[in-house]
Amino acid sequence: MADTLAPHLPVAHPTVAGRRHRLRWSQVALYVALTLIALAMLTPLYWALLSAVRPQEVVFQHVRPVSWRTFVPQELTLQYFGEVLTRTRFPRALANSLFISLTTVVAGLVVNSLAGFGFAKFAFRGKGLLFVVVLLTFMMPFEAIVIPLYMLIRQLGWVDSYLALIVPAIPHGLSIFLFRQFFAEFPNDLLDAARIDGASWWRIYWRIVAPLSTPAFISAALMLFIMQWDAFFWPLVAANSAAHTVVQVEISRFVMQESTSWGRLFAATAMAIGVPMTLFFGLQRYYVQGMTATGLRA
Amino acid sequence: MSLRRREALLPYLFIGPAVGGLLVFRVYPIVLALWQSLHTQTLDGLQRFAGPANYLAIVSDPQVWNAVRVTAVFNLIINPLQIALALGLALLVNRRVPAIGVFRTAYFLPMTVSLTITAIIWNLILNPQLGLANGVLVRLGLPPQPFLISERQALASIMALATWKGVGYWMVFLLAGLQQIPAAVFEAASLDGATPWRRFRDITLPLLRRVLAFVLVADLAINILMFVPVYLLTGGGPHGSTELLMFHAYRLAFVFLDWGRATALAVLIVAVLLMLTGVQLRLLRAEFEY
Repeated sequence: MADTLAPHLPVAHPTVAGRRHRLRWSQVALYVALTLIALAMLTPLYWALLSAVRPQEVVFQHVRPVSWRTFVPQELTLQYFGEVLTRTRFPRALANSLFISLTTVVAGLVVNSLAGFGFAKFAFRGKGLLFVVVLLTFMMPFEAIVIPLYMLIRQLGWVDSYLALIVPAIPHGLSIFLFRQFFAEFPNDLLDAARIDGASWWRIYWRIVAPLSTPAFISAALMLFIMQWDAFFWPLVAANSAAHTVVQVEISRFVMQESTSWGRLFAATAMAIGVPMTLFFGLQRYYVQGMTATGLRA
Repeated sequence: MSLRRREALLPYLFIGPAVGGLLVFRVYPIVLALWQSLHTQTLDGLQRFAGPANYLAIVSDPQVWNAVRVTAVFNLIINPLQIALALGLALLVNRRVPAIGVFRTAYFLPMTVSLTITAIIWNLILNPQLGLANGVLVRLGLPPQPFLISERQALASIMALATWKGVGYWMVFLLAGLQQIPAAVFEAASLDGATPWRRFRDITLPLLRRVLAFVLVADLAINILMFVPVYLLTGGGPHGSTELLMFHAYRLAFVFLDWGRATALAVLIVAVLLMLTGVQLRLLRAEFEY
């Protein structure tokens, strides 16, 4: 399992030195290929982020035909970040998204880790069937039940509320699965010893198991946060009044309004990209661990 | 309550909130939709049992069949394309050479951009007059293209932007699978004189089969439900050429407010997805016992 995307240090292997001159040309070809693909993948992202900090008059000026001026700014400005944070409804959307994402993370960590512990360490009737429910819910992408879920939210009277955006996202199959896999490795001897000392299961969970399981909590927190930060389809239909608009929906409105300035659009976009990307760079290992949590092996 | 009964209840207290939540917010809505799909709303707002009427209306609607056709074409191309590219990238970065981690990160980075923002950025890049894509074509001496506003190119444009975002994600899964294959197997094959192609065909592919199957099913589940780029960029057009099934269901529900037909279509979509997840479950089942 690739537990990290981080660089693998070159191994000082005796045969490497001997083969080096023979491999040189294939090495050069490899790096040329790697670099060309990297440029293709990163150019759209670089161009979008660069467009947030250059005067909007020039964003499309040097595009056709493409030249070095397309990618090298002659002048930089932070003006649009100021504008978008003071003259638009974007700050409200930022606050909404932060509030919704963080609430989901806190509640989701508690609820899903408890369930993961239950599945990992207890035997009970109906366990197999209930675990299949957990598996099916995370394998089925959320989009599949947007229309049915909307009917439930309407019945509950939650349309256009924070409840609609937060509560359905808290129980999370993949997080339960991730916690279960992590807790299953926890030595039973330690739990038994604590039981003999008279500790309750709750106490064992909060005082022994949870503090020793930080990596699983970080991975699950990342998954829940990014799921909510990136959410679009559900907020679009469930709560799209100005009071409850989230970042992704607000940016899509920028695009649909003819009068939007390019600078403001790109600045808002850069902020929306920046949050998950910062989390990714800071916590790369946990990010990939959560992603490949299904533990599927070759 | 006796101690024994409390002990018996304890596991349910641990799993209760989360599993109860899944039953209420994932499973029960499907039951609701099933019920609604068998009813129609009369003018006075009452629900009347309608039997299979909504389903019959769905399967006799040429617009639905167009959406099914577009979704099928979309999936028949995008899934093999994404997986082939992801496998190519995984093979390329599966080596211990200096700075390889930088390239892995670079290929994965588009995955951290939401599909909404991906669609918005690519909408500008593919803009026929102002876009970077035509800027590159013109620089290369090639004719500019209409991309999203063309009936022939719009669906392919959506495939391109979804692939840009998705390929690094599947690369990580396949790379993890490749790293499970013991290096000794390849060394033995090399010593026996196996060519790189034969090593790929006779060792890598068979040993990677389960991961590949998993990635294919998971990718299919996502792409069958593709919605955001269609909603944001094409609105199903030009001339229905990008009318993917999920977008059609969205319009039935939230634009035409035809909840009978919308839920009938949603139930059919969920049924297809359940079959896919059933396959996925079988692929995972051998891995662990529960």
